[in-house]
Amino acid sequence: MKKILISGLIAGCILFIVSYGGLFLAVKFFPGLFIEYNNPLFNSDGSRDVLFYLHAFIISFALSWFWDRFKGLFKGALILRGFEFGLVYSVIALLPVMWISFSALDITVVMVVSWFLYGLVQAIIAGLVFAKINP
Amino acid sequence: MFLLLTSFILPQHMNPAAETKKWVISQNSNLRVNGSTNVNKFTCEILAYDQTDTLILNKSKSDKEIALSGSVSLKVLSFDCHNSIMTHDLQKTLKQKEFPCLHISFLSLNKLPVLSIRPEPITGRVDIEIAGIRKRFDINYRISVDAQKNIHLLGSQDVNFSDFNLKPPRKLGGLIKTNDKLNVDFHLKMKNME
Repeated sequence: MKKILISGLIAGCILFIVSYGGLFLAVKFFPGLFIEYNNPLFNSDGSRDVLFYLHAFIISFALSWFWDRFKGLFKGALILRGFEFGLVYSVIALLPVMWISFSALDITVVMVVSWFLYGLVQAIIAGLVFAKINP
Repeated sequence: MFLLLTSFILPQHMNPAAETKKWVISQNSNLRVNGSTNVNKFTCEILAYDQTDTLILNKSKSDKEIALSGSVSLKVLSFDCHNSIMTHDLQKTLKQKEFPCLHISFLSLNKLPVLSIRPEPITGRVDIEIAGIRKRFDINYRISVDAQKNIHLLGSQDVNFSDFNLKPPRKLGGLIKTNDKLNVDFHLKMKNME
């Protein structure tokens, strides 16, 4: 349990920096990709900002538990294990969620694809961290 | 003594020394709001004012300024940002459900305009009420009259969302944010009803 929490916390801190740093840079250098976010579907009064920024820790603790439970299935070098873990999570969890989101919400393909890639990169980074500190 | 008494009793518009004019606002008047976010710019317009209101100018000999009375009420639902999503977002930001109209009350002009084809710069004081909050602004206008005797009053004013206790929309935890400053342009077309 302790290992799950510690590796989850470390991965959460790394994901926080990488995810929101990446988003900040993307908004700065590719503003055109974010025009679609001026959409009432997205919360605009700032009341959920804390929840938004906690996402890095929510996903890292969830993935940390998932890693601890199934890490024996991911074999090979550290990088390979990290990538495979990220791909497995993306196919099992992200793909169906993105599918239902696109089918039900008024959002664009670019938006959904970018969310999928964002989640995939997060899961790969988390997988690499877990493979290193909780092999 | 009689004159002294009547000067207090008679309202200003009945004062024989006062000069009064009536300008009827036509339905072709429009208002444009220009704003920006950190990812794009937007323009929202009310292209056709759907009411007929009257502005009354009153110049008394003693006053330097021209007193104005009259106001326009604009339906927030009439704003068109040329993008349904942006339009909905602006209406939500302006609290359309609680405050369906914004109001511009005209209070004064710094001088009586000459009304010629050549646009004349003139300043005026207005109260703008958005989302239940009223703020006073001094606006620079340009006023002119065309061949059909239509009076054109063009004004431009920068306002802030925060002036009206409104929060500019922000998305993704504030990574995408609307700038506080908005530029409001309006064009009133009026007829002189002397």
